[in-house]
Amino acid sequence: MGSNQEPFEFHATFARLEEGLTILHKSVDALRDSTGRRFSDRPLMLFETALAEIGGNVLTHGRPPGTTRPIEYDLRCDNGTVVAQLSDSGPPAHAHLSTEMPSHSSEAGRGIAMARRLLDELGYERDGEVNRWRLVKKL
Amino acid sequence: MALEVLTRQTDSGVSVVAPTGRLDVAGAPALKDAISEVVKNGPPRVVIDMGGVSFVDSTGLGSVISALKQIRGGQGELRLAAPNQQVRVVLELTTLDRVFPYYATVEEALTGF
Repeated sequence: MGSNQEPFEFHATFARLEEGLTILHKSVDALRDSTGRRFSDRPLMLFETALAEIGGNVLTHGRPPGTTRPIEYDLRCDNGTVVAQLSDSGPPAHAHLSTEMPSHSSEAGRGIAMARRLLDELGYERDGEVNRWRLVKKL
Repeated sequence: MALEVLTRQTDSGVSVVAPTGRLDVAGAPALKDAISEVVKNGPPRVVIDMGGVSFVDSTGLGSVISALKQIRGGQGELRLAAPNQQVRVVLELTTLDRVFPYYATVEEALTGF
């Protein structure tokens, strides 16, 4: 991506699991198209994998019963660095941030550990009643 | 796109389970259901044909681990075939490639099975 190229920007709100996951993947497809990267481009593939992990968690846990606020999602790529931000209304997630990769026989609990390994930065903050996630990777 | 799963049986009695789409937190239950059906019919030899899986996440991977447990619990055996690059990356990242030796094609997975 040349430095004279306009930054890539994408914004969406969503509430349902399958709809949300599809939007996340389509946003990465749009970024691929915008930057001329192939599906096999490894850094972007790793980023998409991490995005689906955090996005899947947000969509699964981030809208407890009675929530009216949708998931907010922003994707931006500038000067070869891609940044995704997701916010949700789920319970605080601090306790899950340092989860290690579980044993081979475990059927769950890999998502955040995978995302940490795949990204250059996985940020999280609790802002009032909102969880804010920030995913950063140099492409 | 919702995950679709087709199951067929070869002449030698191996079940080939072929999911198509994203094997993720939304699609994983469909694979679990398909494996449960296969296991009902006796000691299973199963190939999961990953050729139609465009993308896998940790929950999708969990459904494959669940499949392995169910199949081994029924004295059966599981082989994975034709994972794409993203699936292979996730298997390697989680070191589950040590648990699931995978085959380049379904034909290779069926050889000697």
